[in-house]
Amino acid sequence: MVRIDAKNLSATEINRRIKDAASSADEIKVVNPQARHNIAVGVLQPCNITIEGSVGYYGASLMDGPEVHIDGNAGWALGENLMSGKITVTKDAGASVAASMRGGEIVVGRNAGARAGISMKGGTLLIGGNAGFLTGFMMQKGRIVVCGDVGDAVGDSMYEGVIYVGGEIGSLGTDAKVEPVSEGELIELWALLEQHGIEDKPRFRKIVSEKKLYHFDKLERLEMSAV
Amino acid sequence: MCGISGIMYMNGGRNGVANVGSDLVKMLDALAHRGRDSTGFTVVGEQLDEDLIVRLWTEDAEAAKDVLERVEEAIGRAGGVVVTTRSWGGFFRLTVNYEGEVSRLAETLMTIDDVVIHSIGEASEVVKDVGVASDMDRDHHIGLMRGTHGIGHVRMATESKVDITHSHPFWAYPFTDVTVVHNGQLTNYHKLKRHYQSMGHRFLTGNDSELIAVYLADKLAEGDSLESVLTQSLDDLDGTFTYLVSTKTGMGVAKDRWAAKPLVTMQTDDVVAVASEEIALRSVFTDEELDRVEPQENEVLTWSV
Repeated sequence: MVRIDAKNLSATEINRRIKDAASSADEIKVVNPQARHNIAVGVLQPCNITIEGSVGYYGASLMDGPEVHIDGNAGWALGENLMSGKITVTKDAGASVAASMRGGEIVVGRNAGARAGISMKGGTLLIGGNAGFLTGFMMQKGRIVVCGDVGDAVGDSMYEGVIYVGGEIGSLGTDAKVEPVSEGELIELWALLEQHGIEDKPRFRKIVSEKKLYHFDKLERLEMSAV
Repeated sequence: MCGISGIMYMNGGRNGVANVGSDLVKMLDALAHRGRDSTGFTVVGEQLDEDLIVRLWTEDAEAAKDVLERVEEAIGRAGGVVVTTRSWGGFFRLTVNYEGEVSRLAETLMTIDDVVIHSIGEASEVVKDVGVASDMDRDHHIGLMRGTHGIGHVRMATESKVDITHSHPFWAYPFTDVTVVHNGQLTNYHKLKRHYQSMGHRFLTGNDSELIAVYLADKLAEGDSLESVLTQSLDDLDGTFTYLVSTKTGMGVAKDRWAAKPLVTMQTDDVVAVASEEIALRSVFTDEELDRVEPQENEVLTWSV
């Protein structure tokens, strides 16, 4: 186990030490993060990172492979562009959690701010509590599971992907619609919750794109001659 | 970008006031990465024997002595009595006994060339300067200022120029004790400014955030509650904003409909602190277990001492 005390280190130095440790040790512990920005960024190999305390903006972003556990809160854009691996935060996440995420899993223990899963392109974002305004905004692929309530304009301008909501829906965003959930999906979702220690079994509602907003029926120049 | 923060001791510290100045310095230092152009503070609540605290600034620091004489003369002309004065590097702090309309005092002060009013308050005073919070603490001894509450701002300028006068907080001329710090941009600034000018209001700068202060003070003067005024502002102000307002006994926050600008809060039974980022709250609250709350879109919060 490698222990990194972040207190008097620059973010660059913290991240350099994490990357060095990732190639030699399985377990990395970061203490005294003091809600600072850009902690645990750009780690591209499997390893286990535990952060004891809150992180600021872009915590655990640009990752491919690691399992990161944050014991505290996260600021804006936690886990941005995650390719693979897993990020858990025990308390709240700020706005734009899992922005542009492409794979892997991000789990928020309590509430998430506005624009959770904005422009998500794959993977699973699980939120134990509520999610804010514009959840799943311009989502393109993947799955967002919110056990509590979502704010207004959920799924606004989403292309593909699904958003499951266990609590109240503030309002649907433009081009988003509610679709029936199958028993099979519910069982799969409940298994996901159980895996993360959530005992509730909400009757999730499913939000998908109505696909009326975007059209790709204008032919490209080279396609025209083929018709 | 810009960073904002505020703190209020709701049950008062020792002797009813707490080290609000040093708390704000710590919080704004922690937010220095959000703006290094200028920094400013409002500290409210020190018990004074005098009626008003007047904070002024002149660009011509070398002529400060002459300027101060003209200021004292002007206050006398308006019917006030200067009780104490402090002057350093072009900045002035005066305490004044004054019974009349504050607008008359303000207008008289405005007739002096090269003098800018930073604030007139019964309980609050604005200190602002270029540079970061630690620079300001060194030059203005912010850390020694005590009060019940206060707000602060670090600026990365997007609207209007970088100088001391265009730094936050903005005082609402000529109302006492209403000051604002703002993170964001107002898009209906010129329209609303013209509206308030046509009603007879005066603006001291070309900065959009000053409008928020005047807007709120004007409505508060009509007797509306702080919460009601902040809620009305969500519809009346257009653009992106998370702003903080401090009044003689209150502090409030309003966040725009897009939730575009950050804010988090932490609260105990006695103290509430708010800031753009948790990093600032952690500089005053050491309890790791304290819950952080992030206000959402169209949300208004108020506190009072």
